[in-house]
Amino acid sequence: MVKFTINGKAASVEADPAMPILWVVREKLGLTGTKFGCGVAQCGACTVHLDGQPVRSCSTPIAEAEGKAITTIEGVAGPDGELSKVQQAWVSEQVPQCGYCQSGQIMAATALLRDNPQPSDADIDTAMAGNICRCGTYVRIRAAIKVAAGLEPAKGAELRS
Amino acid sequence: MNDMPQQPQRSRAAKWTRRGFIGAGVLAGGALVIGVGVRTGNPVGRLGPLVAGGEGEQLINSWLKIGADNIVTAIVPHCEMGQGVHSVLAQMLADELDADWSLVRVMQAPADGSYVVTDTIRTFVAPGTLDAPDWLEPTWNGLFTKIAQLADGLITGGSSSIRTTGQRTMRIAGAAARQMLIGAAAREWDVAAAEITTANSMLSHKPSGRSAPYSQFAAAAAEQDMPQTPQMKAPENYRLMGKDVPRIDIPDKVNGAASFGIDAVVPGQTLTYAAVRRVPVPGTRVAKMDAAQAKTMPGVLQILNMGDFLAVVADSYWQAQQALNAVTAEYTAPESTIRSSDDQFARFAAALDAAGDKGGEEVIGRGDVPTAMQAAAKTVSADYQVPYLAHAPLEPMNATVWARDGRCEIWTSTQVPLMARSAAAKALGLSKDDVTMHHPMLGGGFGRRLETDYVVMAARIGQATGYPVKMIWSREEDTQKGLFRCADMSRFTGGLDAQGRLTAYNNVFTQRNDPADACDCAFYDIPNKSIRVAEAELHLPFAAFRSVDHSQQAFFIESFIDEAAQAAGRDPLEFRLAMLGQSPRHKAVLEKAAAMAGWNAKPAAGHGRGIALTESFGTIVAEVVEVDMSSGKPRLTNVWCAADPGFAMNPDGFRNQMEGGIVFGLTAALYGEISLKDGAVEQSNFHDYKLMRMDECPAIAVEIINGDHVRLGGAGEPGLPPAAPALANAIFAATGKRIRALPLAKHFA
Amino acid sequence: MHRSATLAVIALALTLTACGSKVEDPVEQIVVRPPGVAAVPAAPAAWDLVAAGKAAFAVCTACHSAEPGGASGIGPNLHGVVGRGAGSVAGFSYSEAMAKSGLTWTESELDAFIANPSGKVPGTEMVAGQVADAQRRAAIIAYLASLKN
Repeated sequence: MVKFTINGKAASVEADPAMPILWVVREKLGLTGTKFGCGVAQCGACTVHLDGQPVRSCSTPIAEAEGKAITTIEGVAGPDGELSKVQQAWVSEQVPQCGYCQSGQIMAATALLRDNPQPSDADIDTAMAGNICRCGTYVRIRAAIKVAAGLEPAKGAELRS
Repeated sequence: MNDMPQQPQRSRAAKWTRRGFIGAGVLAGGALVIGVGVRTGNPVGRLGPLVAGGEGEQLINSWLKIGADNIVTAIVPHCEMGQGVHSVLAQMLADELDADWSLVRVMQAPADGSYVVTDTIRTFVAPGTLDAPDWLEPTWNGLFTKIAQLADGLITGGSSSIRTTGQRTMRIAGAAARQMLIGAAAREWDVAAAEITTANSMLSHKPSGRSAPYSQFAAAAAEQDMPQTPQMKAPENYRLMGKDVPRIDIPDKVNGAASFGIDAVVPGQTLTYAAVRRVPVPGTRVAKMDAAQAKTMPGVLQILNMGDFLAVVADSYWQAQQALNAVTAEYTAPESTIRSSDDQFARFAAALDAAGDKGGEEVIGRGDVPTAMQAAAKTVSADYQVPYLAHAPLEPMNATVWARDGRCEIWTSTQVPLMARSAAAKALGLSKDDVTMHHPMLGGGFGRRLETDYVVMAARIGQATGYPVKMIWSREEDTQKGLFRCADMSRFTGGLDAQGRLTAYNNVFTQRNDPADACDCAFYDIPNKSIRVAEAELHLPFAAFRSVDHSQQAFFIESFIDEAAQAAGRDPLEFRLAMLGQSPRHKAVLEKAAAMAGWNAKPAAGHGRGIALTESFGTIVAEVVEVDMSSGKPRLTNVWCAADPGFAMNPDGFRNQMEGGIVFGLTAALYGEISLKDGAVEQSNFHDYKLMRMDECPAIAVEIINGDHVRLGGAGEPGLPPAAPALANAIFAATGKRIRALPLAKHFA
Repeated sequence: MHRSATLAVIALALTLTACGSKVEDPVEQIVVRPPGVAAVPAAPAAWDLVAAGKAAFAVCTACHSAEPGGASGIGPNLHGVVGRGAGSVAGFSYSEAMAKSGLTWTESELDAFIANPSGKVPGTEMVAGQVADAQRRAAIIAYLASLKN
């Protein structure tokens, strides 16, 4: 039995302690926003926060979460569903295409901005280089991080509803 | 930029409009629809329960329903794989309907024969019939609807959704529904229909001061006769079309709520998970399986030798994968004698050698190439080659299956839900009506999900277990055992006259799939041309890759044009512009990209700029790439892209597709290589099959020219083709080194 | 007529619709147990540090083989790692940081590295696999140490 909190709620699961956090979160807790992309910490689609630190959940055993706090993409918005600054910027810059990698991108960007609220282009490149986007939305991710940081104004599409 | 065409071509638009309307009408089975769910015997009667089961919902026609809350739902047949099709097709329908965009929702059309995309199939199969006389239109439409239904023609690909289904189905459905709503209100209010106006999902009659939401007349509208010529908007009246309308699917893609195939749940059931391992070399079989250790491992439920692949089913995917790793197997000997990449390219070279100057199957023959070549003041020759590529969508191949009692239910990410249904039915010995498909969003498609191999594998596993099972490929399986963009080789000789003009053009290559004209740069004025294909055996199975043949042909052609410019001693831009006298739209696009890049200003020391121009899927694209070679390795700094898609229905969405296509094309050009060793693929995961990352991505600027508002081009693929040649040409400009074999980064390791 | 992928797809679909079916059954089907029946937990006894380490190492196998002579994957083969020099597996492409670290993988160096890879060797390409729990590290290292030829 491994005990931890998931998005602020206490949880305990019966699982092989070596099972990666990714599969515990997806299969046992039903939180499917965290994605499987490569299984070997190369693509970042599975990024979650463990006690606030971004980790590749496909390669981190659930035993590592004992007594800790896991945050997934489902736990990023406020309790009433209000999107975080990073999420809002992802919407205003119209970042996602297929969207499959974007949970991991947002988790990585959220951690970056918490530790470095005014990142340079080089800081962004370094922090985000572990997250692959096959659709190629990097230009927009870069812009959205700057918008979330308040370094650039939101583009704001013409029609908002 | 988002320029409206100066002079809308009214007569042409009106003609096209009428055809489009009839198309929509025939699609629903002879009469576009009405009163769904209330008339037995009406073919659309069965659509009601299928798509409009919610309380108070009224299906107005096949493609839209209106709820009691005045919510308009567009029923979109194409799959959402990141290209934004759900939003933009809804945007087109809503504009013609005069709907309030904040009250518009989207629904994925079910995998049902009623929702085949007739106009997409027709555009692919027989584009000539789109210009048929009006009186033949019902016949063609009826025929192609039948063909589409027989062929399971519910397909998303070919950068076609906006220009086929959007233009010829969704807009017409919206315009027709608007007129039906007006007709119903006119009858109820007893006023002339012409006096009723529509805006923001409301009907208004100014003289009497009456107004009502659409929902109030939805049921009555569905009883109206179909208008024979619904009035379509001219571009100056577009309210949503041509605007940066935010995508409907994005909010769910930033909070984890969006559901992809891999996220499928089987209601009320506990899932099991399958990990699979296909035979390493195509065409071989499992000779012997040893599962002694695997069957003792935790969570394992079943171990299967399916002949062409192995599978372990377990309580958890991770347990299944762990146990599969412990299964050992031997395989039969492969028949193909192609063992290495060198073997593969030797086959290509042999085919080109055998074809010589004239051999192979002719694709384009124009003028007199031998005579022009002989008269040339100078000739230039070059061979180019590209390797196999894996599509590598970030969502690995997967499917969830529950097969029991002679029925089968499938959840999967697919670009071809009806074909997947038929393929699974065939594999299980069922009729296709016994198979139900659920197809949520795709975590990338790129052509890979036009294939149904993975769905069939999951169906066979599901049939063996009889309980719900979710099969997921590992990234290694996805990289090594799937279907691939073909490798290819292309040989050119060009003849330049004394003025440095390209007067003779001789080209032969080995792989030809789609589109048919991808090998011809028809927009360049080259008087004598011979383009041929000399087919050669491919070792790995083929699947269409984003932009298909353009993905290699653009690299071949636009590299060669650059070499011809160099041989002629001309600037690459000037050389191209001089050949575009007959192609003003192409010329405008090329000039725009060059202007954006500041082509005439010298780049910084160690930097080089390259340019390329292509037309694919009806869209003209020019790109300038700037590369910094000062470290000895390519570092991309900028891409400037100008594109003319005819008319960009959603400019921001179009720009996003261009940006994505450019990154996809640059990734392939720089890194993409699937190579062979002992007949098997060498690469396995993203450490050795590299994809471009954030720190390698250049700044990208995109500008749009709206050059023809009637004949539209596509968005998903056209950004890709110019990227590779523009980059290779930039490296040449910076270093004087001409690279004729992709991937480029390999030459600077 | 050229080969058209689209036409081929459509032709295939027509064939699928028209043809009779040939069902390919499994060549071999091993049924271990039906789903829903809980497996007997196979947790190693607490005192068996090596067995516990082997179980804990499972997540590491995504990148590392520990088989003698096993191919290096995303990470180097770890058979016999205890006691050898860092960056010493022939044919594996190490990060510059690891290649130049000068470390010898004693049990205590391994412990420090696994506890915080990029803290111990800044610039390492081992971006995952950090093991915060000291007991689990001890078990994994005991398992790796047990792998001698």
